[in-house]
Amino acid sequence: MAKIIGGLGTSHVPSIGVALDKGLCDTPDWKPFFDGYEAGKEWVREAKPDIAVVVFNDHGNTFFLDRVPTFAVGVADSYNPADEGWGPRAIPPFEGATEFAWHFVDKLVERHFDPLVCREIEVDHGMQVPMELFFGRPEKWPVKVVPIWVNTIQYPIPTPQRCWDMGKVLREAIESWPTDERVVILGTGGLSHQLQGARAGFINQDADRAWLDGIAANPEHYRNMTREDYVEQFGSEGAELIMWLVMRAAMNEKVDLVHKHYYAPASMTGAGMVVLENAA
Amino acid sequence: MANQSIPDTPLFDRNGSIRGYRINKMAMSLGQAANREAFKADEEAYLDRFGLTEEEKKAVMSRDWHEMVRLGGNLFFILKISAIDPTPITRIGAAQAGMSHEDFLYHRLGKRAAHG
Ligand SMILES: [Fe+2]
Repeated sequence: MAKIIGGLGTSHVPSIGVALDKGLCDTPDWKPFFDGYEAGKEWVREAKPDIAVVVFNDHGNTFFLDRVPTFAVGVADSYNPADEGWGPRAIPPFEGATEFAWHFVDKLVERHFDPLVCREIEVDHGMQVPMELFFGRPEKWPVKVVPIWVNTIQYPIPTPQRCWDMGKVLREAIESWPTDERVVILGTGGLSHQLQGARAGFINQDADRAWLDGIAANPEHYRNMTREDYVEQFGSEGAELIMWLVMRAAMNEKVDLVHKHYYAPASMTGAGMVVLENAA
Repeated sequence: MANQSIPDTPLFDRNGSIRGYRINKMAMSLGQAANREAFKADEEAYLDRFGLTEEEKKAVMSRDWHEMVRLGGNLFFILKISAIDPTPITRIGAAQAGMSHEDFLYHRLGKRAAHG
């Protein structure tokens, strides 16, 4: 059966992609941020995943307000990077793990989830940036991908508990997939930031640092928080941290926090990552 | 979810989604290069194509980010307007917060002054 080899949590701030495109990684604003990801990249190189499941939200690039899926799953052969208004980025398309993705969709519906199933769709920075942070800028991505989109833009957004439940089904899908493929799960978004309203620019470094440890050691706390709690502690857009719960729920109850990094501000956002491995 | 439970923190709920539909639809369209060219060539005519009201047109054409959001514009859509100018997101943030850009960078985001 396929195997979960680790869970990664990371920010997906669009400016990170811009910094990579413009070669700004060694500037004083960005160097400490990128340096902290080296350990994560190294971990991925050694772990050699075959499939990356990436949980993220679209940011008004792929889904408009004419139809807003609470959860969507990609079953496409390939995903091109979306043009977010700056022109297409020079990164390779992502190859889909099509068969596993369909298997996951089957499991979701069996377990009473009702995802939108996408066969032709682009992916925005929510998926691009995490892939670049952990896999660098290869000519061809060394893994196949399964995108999972979570609506965090238009209320009602899903509850933390529902994201958690989806992670449980994801685990079941992976552990019942009859190949020896190695699967890494990326929960993305956050950390604290707010782009709208007079509280714009809100960053909560204490809550962010507590999150990076807590998501490993005490995820129950975050699963039990309300959406309002997320907005209050992490900002209106920081509430997208609920997507890390999909990744965390797919892991064992006990995990090892293998790597952790935090930096603020990246653009207008508290930013960072964790690498988690299942503990016995 | 109640909308106004957290001070100075508007959530993009059904009211914003309904109210801001035209602005957001116009902004979303700027994800295509040909539309960006049309927008640049004649901004007002482009906005008319999407049926924006006078109030909405004024907010977009004057790049009044605070007003666009008040009218239901969602940041993720209207960022595509900012990509045309281009306007850095921190300036949009400062406009939301009602602060100067410098104050916003140093006091809200906690950046250190370049010549500290
Ligand atoms: Fe996001």
